[in-house]
Amino acid sequence: MNKEAVVKIIARALEINNDKLVYTSHMDEIDEWDSLGHLSILMQLDEDFKGKVSGLKSLAEAKSVSEICDILLEAKLIVG
Amino acid sequence: MKSYFSSEISLSKFSYYLPTAYKIVDDFEIDNPDWNIHKVIEKTGINKIYIAEENQTSVDLAIEAINSFLKKFEVNPNSIDGLLFVTQSPDYVLPTSACIIQEKIGLPETILGFDINLGCSGFVNSLAVAVSLIKSSTLNNCLIVCAETYSKYINKNDRTTKTIFSDAAAVCLLEKNSKTNFLFSPFHFGLDGKGAPNLIVKGSGARKKMIGEDSNLFMDGGKVFMFTMSEIPKFVNNLLKKNDKTVADIDLFIFHQASKLVLDTLSQKLNLPSDKVFRNLGSVGNTVSCSIPIAICDAIDQKKIFNGATIMLVGFGVGYSWGGTIIKWGE
Repeated sequence: MNKEAVVKIIARALEINNDKLVYTSHMDEIDEWDSLGHLSILMQLDEDFKGKVSGLKSLAEAKSVSEICDILLEAKLIVG
Repeated sequence: MKSYFSSEISLSKFSYYLPTAYKIVDDFEIDNPDWNIHKVIEKTGINKIYIAEENQTSVDLAIEAINSFLKKFEVNPNSIDGLLFVTQSPDYVLPTSACIIQEKIGLPETILGFDINLGCSGFVNSLAVAVSLIKSSTLNNCLIVCAETYSKYINKNDRTTKTIFSDAAAVCLLEKNSKTNFLFSPFHFGLDGKGAPNLIVKGSGARKKMIGEDSNLFMDGGKVFMFTMSEIPKFVNNLLKKNDKTVADIDLFIFHQASKLVLDTLSQKLNLPSDKVFRNLGSVGNTVSCSIPIAICDAIDQKKIFNGATIMLVGFGVGYSWGGTIIKWGE
């Protein structure tokens, strides 16, 4: 899986069109990405990565798509 | 069932009390149009929350619950041996609220009683304490009373906490009974203080004063959710394994009713059939330590708990603290 796939997962979690979200998107710029939206992202990532994300505690504090991708890259769950 | 112990303890009497005042979560939109309340309800699954009156404390809720419990089950208060009062919003840091309850209900002056400062794991962990006290013949019976008024800590502008936590009280009685067929598995627990800053009222003790933001309940929902996703499925699988059980052997899972998102996540990660995961949070809210005894009470009424049923209880949350057991329900 790559960064583009992660963007789509996040968009799906937030129930927004893919074109509303890009790699540089920050939660402050997306209405749907509030605290509850963030929980939906965490849940969707965990489902799509088949449970491998639940141990990545730093995801709880991630505030942007790029930050999420960096965490997943470091965990070797996506490729750059 | 090699790991069950025949406890000779029956656990069939449960009841609960909800404050008369409640809020329909939808109505929060009137004062908070920016809260996107429909999305909130979609995620939390909570439609209604109960709120104690301004001058009504967890002790007051407990007294209502205990009085109606004693009447419903025709229990003589003079027969009570022990009182465990589970709350994180006691009347006072000192004296112990259990003492106040003893006096107001008229329980004997010879009983063992104390407060247990636990939240969402409070019922299961106090159940472990009560079972141990009765099994060791220290007590013949024990009232567990959970009562919570998180509403007193919640800032009215905090969407995260305002829309999920609900005030309530719940009572159950454990009784030594050589004829009962209740069976308990060994209890298992978890404790991780790294989670302490993530669900906290900073001013609620000796560390800081109860002023300003420090008087409010703070919850980092993301971190608490990550803890739940990371630890609780492992814990459930471990509890099953240590008791030589699989999901198929459990008739009903009663988890702490944290939110729909949490129950959905646990169900999905553990691959639990939806009819095996009890849910009643929609109409009651997240009642903290009361959530499991209230769920048990409702499950009994709905005949989802019955003589011979195998029930797993798992409480988890603030602290972080968690606990679980498997009970073969009896009479």
